[in-house]
This record gives sequence, C-alpha cells and structure tokens, in this order.
Amino acid sequence: MSYNSKKTIASLVAGAALVIAYTVYALGKRSPAPNNLESWAAAMLVFIGISVAAVVVIQILFHIAFAIGIAVKEQDREDKKVERIISSAMVEDEREKLISLKSARVGYICAGIGLIAALAALALGGSAVAAFHILFGAYAVGSIAEGIVGVYFYEKGVRNG
Amino acid sequence: MDKKLLITNNIRKLRFFANEMTQLELAEKSGASRQTIIALEAGKYTPSLELAFRIANVFGVSIGEVFECKSEGIEA
Repeated sequence: MSYNSKKTIASLVAGAALVIAYTVYALGKRSPAPNNLESWAAAMLVFIGISVAAVVVIQILFHIAFAIGIAVKEQDREDKKVERIISSAMVEDEREKLISLKSARVGYICAGIGLIAALAALALGGSAVAAFHILFGAYAVGSIAEGIVGVYFYEKGVRNG
Repeated sequence: MDKKLLITNNIRKLRFFANEMTQLELAEKSGASRQTIIALEAGKYTPSLELAFRIANVFGVSIGEVFECKSEGIEA
C-alpha cells in the first residue's frame, strides 16, 4: 500500500472517530435541548475545530512514522538515498491531483445531496436543528466517501479523461 | 462508436536499457513521484501528454517508443 493510501486511511480513521464521538455526544444526556440552535451550532463548531486539529496532528505523526519506517527499512543504504525516497513519496504530481479531484467530486455530490435533503426536511416541516444535522451528516459522509474513493483510485489505478 | 484504447508502455524495458535506471531516478528526472512511476509500469495509470513527453525525454527516445496504443475491441 502506498504512502498516499496510508495517509488517506489515517485521516479517514480520524474523521470517522470524530463522527462517532459527535454522534455519542448528540445522543447523550449532555447534548443541548432539541430546539436550541445556538448550542448545537457551537457544539458543531467545536467538533469541526477538533477534527481539523486532529487531522493536522495525525498527518504530522504519520509523516514522522513514515520517515522512520523508510529509514529502518532502508538502513543499509546511505542517508541521501533514504531522503530521496521520502521526498519522492511526498511529491504531489499530476496523478495525485487527478485522484484528489476525482475523489473530491464524490464529496461534493454527498454535500449537495445533503443540502437538498436538509431543504426538503425544512420544507416538510422539520426543525432547523434536524436540517442542520442532515447537512452536517452529509458533509461527514462526503468526507469519508472522498477518502474511500481516494484510496480506491490509489490502489486500483486511475485514467486521465 | 468509439472503441476503448489500451495504452501500454515500455518503461520497465527502457529503464533496463538505461543502465538499470531505478524507479526513483526516473521519478526524479521526470518530476513525478515514485508511486506514479510504479503505477505507470503496472498499467494502473495513464499519464498526461506532458508527463509522457517528459518520460520520453529522460530516455532520449520518441514518445511512440515509450507508449503504445492498442484498441481493446470493446465498444465504449
């Protein structure tokens, strides 16, 4: 499995863990009142902040672990060679950009469906909090789907066009 | 109707004849990542025209000597 696949899986796991954490919080006793939109918005903002920080920290830790892994695996080779292998894996070339574009499209589709579903929920008399959660959930699902599609393309291959 | 095109390459062979050039060296010289070279050799990626030219330039051959196009015979 390539560096990019592993990196995406690490971010996916972090994202999924935060979605689970939010679900536990939302269904728990400490969650805000069902109609308290301000408190729900604040809670979502906190979770988004935590998820951004978690992804950054995980990426840094993953980068360090990857560099150590390569250094151990290639210990018979000189340092410069190891450095070259690490920097080559970090290069963001056209294939990576293509995969990120193709997988981001899946994320946008999920977010779009979520927006329509949230609007439909409001139109059918649902509460604003429910619409808010549908949107939030769609973004979370979209982000996870984006990661899964990305790993699929990294492993199975991708074609231009 | 269009027929699907199968693009194959001779990168592995060309690397062998280029003094057993490593995938890492080819990646560095062509400006791609090593993973992209690995994917190309495994037939898991079709490069852009620009990268195809850059790879051909590394070996000092024409693009047609690196990449070959075959018709798969399946109508798309």
